[in-house]
Amino acid sequence: MKGTAYLRRYWQLYALLILPVSYFIVFKYGPMYGILIAFKDFNFFQGINGSEWIGFDGFREVFAMPDFYKVLRNTLMLNFLDLIVSFPAPLFLAIMLYELKIVWFKKLSQTILYIPHFISWVIIGGIVYQVFGTQSGMINNIITSIGFDAIPFLTDKKDWLITYLVVGVWQSAGWGTIIYLAALTGINKELFEAADVDGAGRLRKIWSITLPSLKPTIVTLLIINLGHMIAIGFERPYIIGNTAVRDYADVLSTFVYRIGIESGQYTIATVVGLFQAIVGLVFVLGANYTSKKLADQSIL
Amino acid sequence: MKPNKRGRKTASTLLTATLAGTMLISACSNSGGNEKANESTGGEAASGGKASTLKVEVFDRGNSPAGSSITKNYLTQFVQDKFGTPNNINVQFVPIPRSEEVQKLNVLMASGSDVPDIVFTYDSGTFYRYAQQGGLTDLGELLDQYGPNLKKFLGDETLAYGQYEGKQFALPAKRSHLGKYSSFVRQDWLEKLSLPVPTTTDELYATLKAFKEKDPGQTGGKVIPLGMSLAPAQYEPLIWSFIEPVTDEQRYTLTQQLGSRDYPVLLPGFKEALQFMNKLYNEGLMSADFSLDEDKKKLNEDAAKGLVGFFSEDDMNPFYPDGLYATLQKNIPDAKLSAVDVYTNSEGKHPKPEYAPIGMFLMIPKSSQHAVEAIKYLDWMASEGNLFDMQNGVEGENYTLQDGVPIVKADAADEVKNRIYNYGDMAIISNGKQLGDADKNVEAYVVGMPEAFQEETRKALSVSRSDTIKPVLFDRPIEAQAKYGTALLDKFNEIIVKTTMVKPDQFESTFESVMKDYMANGGQAILDERTKAYEAMK
Repeated sequence: MKGTAYLRRYWQLYALLILPVSYFIVFKYGPMYGILIAFKDFNFFQGINGSEWIGFDGFREVFAMPDFYKVLRNTLMLNFLDLIVSFPAPLFLAIMLYELKIVWFKKLSQTILYIPHFISWVIIGGIVYQVFGTQSGMINNIITSIGFDAIPFLTDKKDWLITYLVVGVWQSAGWGTIIYLAALTGINKELFEAADVDGAGRLRKIWSITLPSLKPTIVTLLIINLGHMIAIGFERPYIIGNTAVRDYADVLSTFVYRIGIESGQYTIATVVGLFQAIVGLVFVLGANYTSKKLADQSIL
Repeated sequence: MKPNKRGRKTASTLLTATLAGTMLISACSNSGGNEKANESTGGEAASGGKASTLKVEVFDRGNSPAGSSITKNYLTQFVQDKFGTPNNINVQFVPIPRSEEVQKLNVLMASGSDVPDIVFTYDSGTFYRYAQQGGLTDLGELLDQYGPNLKKFLGDETLAYGQYEGKQFALPAKRSHLGKYSSFVRQDWLEKLSLPVPTTTDELYATLKAFKEKDPGQTGGKVIPLGMSLAPAQYEPLIWSFIEPVTDEQRYTLTQQLGSRDYPVLLPGFKEALQFMNKLYNEGLMSADFSLDEDKKKLNEDAAKGLVGFFSEDDMNPFYPDGLYATLQKNIPDAKLSAVDVYTNSEGKHPKPEYAPIGMFLMIPKSSQHAVEAIKYLDWMASEGNLFDMQNGVEGENYTLQDGVPIVKADAADEVKNRIYNYGDMAIISNGKQLGDADKNVEAYVVGMPEAFQEETRKALSVSRSDTIKPVLFDRPIEAQAKYGTALLDKFNEIIVKTTMVKPDQFESTFESVMKDYMANGGQAILDERTKAYEAMK
């Protein structure tokens, strides 16, 4: 009785949920059916049901591929470096923006910092080529005109790593500040006033008030990022990368694209995708568990 | 900016997502329903009163002139009037974007129900995959019964490429001009330096050095003596000229076919070719960013700006109206580009690969209920000058005949010219114009070029046809090639890039390590299978 009355009263709220829930069912759970491909010798014309079961043969084949370990290593390496370089960047930026007192300047800086996020990777790829190219890139034109040797930013794999990371920071750091800025507005202003009375300087306030208030946000983002350690976007490595640096630029997503879509080996591609999902899950749960134990912060 | 390459990449990215999604959805719906659905549309409707529908794929390049569309234009109307209506067949064209040809076709084929009755692809791997997975109609008997003209037109040599395990699963289009590559040199630079036209690889090297040191184009140190890219048209002529003369057995077993090209990775001389590229690169005689230029966009740009002294290219490419040569002359009015045949092998010849005598693979999906009509359509195209009309338009309006070669009327109204804007994609049984013999076919290309460039075009077309190396054809599919081909193509590019860009003293070790990587990722599997296939064929 109580239940029906409750439902009658709040049904609109539940109705509102229908759309997002069906989104998840159709686009996130429905395709999971396709995981079956990983265990089948997938034949185009017979569909998933008609194809023959092969058990774990697909996994055996993937784990026997020398390239698989290379792309796995690259994925972890690029993500790890990104975590070190790109993860703290928005935090610094957000704190700096927070400290700005001139409103119009703050707003202008924010807009300028956001813009790269809205530029498609395809276009960024074109810009990168124009700026970092060895023969006609802007930077190398300057370097050679003052008498030094051109630096192969795009074609030497170590230099390329730096290019990759710098471009990543440029593209995403500004946008990443949003979450921190939102968290910062939640800080009680009285804390700062009290600190002023106690004679704390700007750095002291940042260290003792701003950063501790951001701790939950930082931990949450870190957990999410760790969960993504094994997942890597397709566009950035594919577009910034090139044949000369494939030793570093070839990652799981580009590997799946090449094997699955270009060569039509759907079983192999699905196996790699499934592997990625499972390892990703382990990473998230692991990071969450550790953070719960160490810092008493968790998202699950 | 590089819109083309990057553009293709976004398209591919999007596709990855959509294809993955569509595959699943369509695969689910594939299992049961579609066969029944097809039965009800009826097979031999042509004999009854009701018109049957024949669906034919057509490439959409997004270049339809105003007032027409890819599915409704002069040629579609021509087909309907001349073939469709008399046979009580309603011909429909199904557009597929040219740039995502294979991916889109994969999706269509997987869906089963919506697939056109005639589909095609240039990619032999895709054809083999469809054939192997049992998705195609065996055309052998149909061809005998309904396609005598077609069979005669294509001929046995062409048809052999469409066979899979002895069955005719595809009809390859017939290619009219087999030449691929020519090389081009800046004649005005040679004259300025009073240098002779280089005729051998050694002379070329001296010429390139002179271009670099004396900078006859006054580029301010930006001169690129040898224009290079990561596209076959630039590296193939160079590499193949280093390959030693080989026996039949070597040719069959040591060549590696990746995608639709033969690669000389294991043939004797390959290493020397790379060593030469390494030398050119390290001496600054070659495009520094060639490894970033997979679609030769940058090369074209540099050459049109007048920075490049010598380069190889698809034989006719520089000569199109508003093409490379035209742009170059706009930028530098007295620039002169000459077609030359330079790279020389140990026997003094100028070997370079030629095309297989085929174009696209035309296929009829197994799920199609209109295979008979499809063959009739292609047979119609092969008979009584229909192909000629589709390729050339109306006599007196689009062209005039001269010694059997149609001369395009340059002064025809746009409306008239636009009639046949996509004839290459509509006249699918042929790649290029078919006028009876190779010289006439070539001449048809020549007269299609701007008048000022016709002489050089003729020269380039004869360069591309001399000393050519034919692709190797087995009587059975090499499965390892279908499986590893695409991935190995990337590895092949890696071989070229790494060995070329490394410092000369590290060449040996780099060459060894990239070759090892290549062999481990499928190269060995292809070699083993080809060796076995050759033994069996002997």
